[in-house]
Amino acid sequence: MTEDNRKAVTIQQTPPDRGAHMATLMRAARQRNEDALGQIVTELSPLLWQVARSAGLGPGDSEDVLQTVWLRLVAHLEEIHSATALTAWLVTTTKREAWRVRAAGRRQVPADQESFAELPDEGPGSEEQVIVHDQQRALWAAIGRLSARCQELLRIVAFAPRPDYAAVAAALGMPVGSIGPTRGRCLAKLRALLAESPL
Amino acid sequence: MTPSEASPMPSADEPLDDVDFGLLDDIRELFQATDPMPADLPERILFSLALRDLEIEVARLAEEEQLTVAARGAEQSRTITFDSDSLTIMIRIEANQDGTMRVDGWLAPPQRREIEMKTAADTLGVTSDEQGRFAFTRMPRGRAQLVVRPNEPGPGRPGRSVVTPALVL
Repeated sequence: MTEDNRKAVTIQQTPPDRGAHMATLMRAARQRNEDALGQIVTELSPLLWQVARSAGLGPGDSEDVLQTVWLRLVAHLEEIHSATALTAWLVTTTKREAWRVRAAGRRQVPADQESFAELPDEGPGSEEQVIVHDQQRALWAAIGRLSARCQELLRIVAFAPRPDYAAVAAALGMPVGSIGPTRGRCLAKLRALLAESPL
Repeated sequence: MTPSEASPMPSADEPLDDVDFGLLDDIRELFQATDPMPADLPERILFSLALRDLEIEVARLAEEEQLTVAARGAEQSRTITFDSDSLTIMIRIEANQDGTMRVDGWLAPPQRREIEMKTAADTLGVTSDEQGRFAFTRMPRGRAQLVVRPNEPGPGRPGRSVVTPALVL
């Protein structure tokens, strides 16, 4: 019964183990529990948005890609059983779908439009200023000096659930251990850059 | 590069520490501020995931074309093509005089199938003819999704619905 499913899901709302919680949600989703699927979509879509955007897609194409990816997940729910496998599958599929859209040449955003250099400059008194702190500014500048691969990796991993860092790095085609359990060269380089030009 | 004495150069082979986790948190905040996912996107995704059937084949948006139909004034017509492993679905969307929308579609390869159009309010059903043609003549504007219902299931091969992403009429 639906009510029982919903209850089972709610009980584990704040579990000590995220993996067990996600596995419960995935089981419930396979049994047609829409609340469970809704929680999974809400939790992981921000990560997939960054995957699509960092592949150079515009907002409209990114939305199309996310819709396709989640529909494809529904078709594959029976085959995915752990939280980490789910995250890795979603990241891989989003990247693949994003490249498919790019290859088709639909409404593509030129890569340089996404450039870090074009971040709006600080305007005194500007209320629309997004990056407010000097610290964020320094971080932004340092990220901009990383290789494109490192920028992509860190941007995406930052949105991944912590236990899934290594799986996400692998899904992005970075060597295993790029991020988690070891730091990896991208974060090491970022820290070096930040140490070089302190505030 | 000269490692500063105050903060020795971190090695790539060390385990992640609190500084790394803090940096990743900062990076997330940065991109949440500069390139946030639209807040209502999960809701729109869930609209297209509310399916009667989980045995589905996903039809991807393959092509979208805006056409101005000159003969009928400035009236707009959109043609959208969706591709799945087994089926190509092409639809043309036009506005009716009364403000409702008309959707004409073709299935390739041509075949008779039950086709549903799911909207926020309800689900409408039609059947394509032998040439694969179908039409929804008066649809409300707004979000909609096409579901081509399964063929007769064969032995050991259950029929699957072909499902498109949600589109806006």
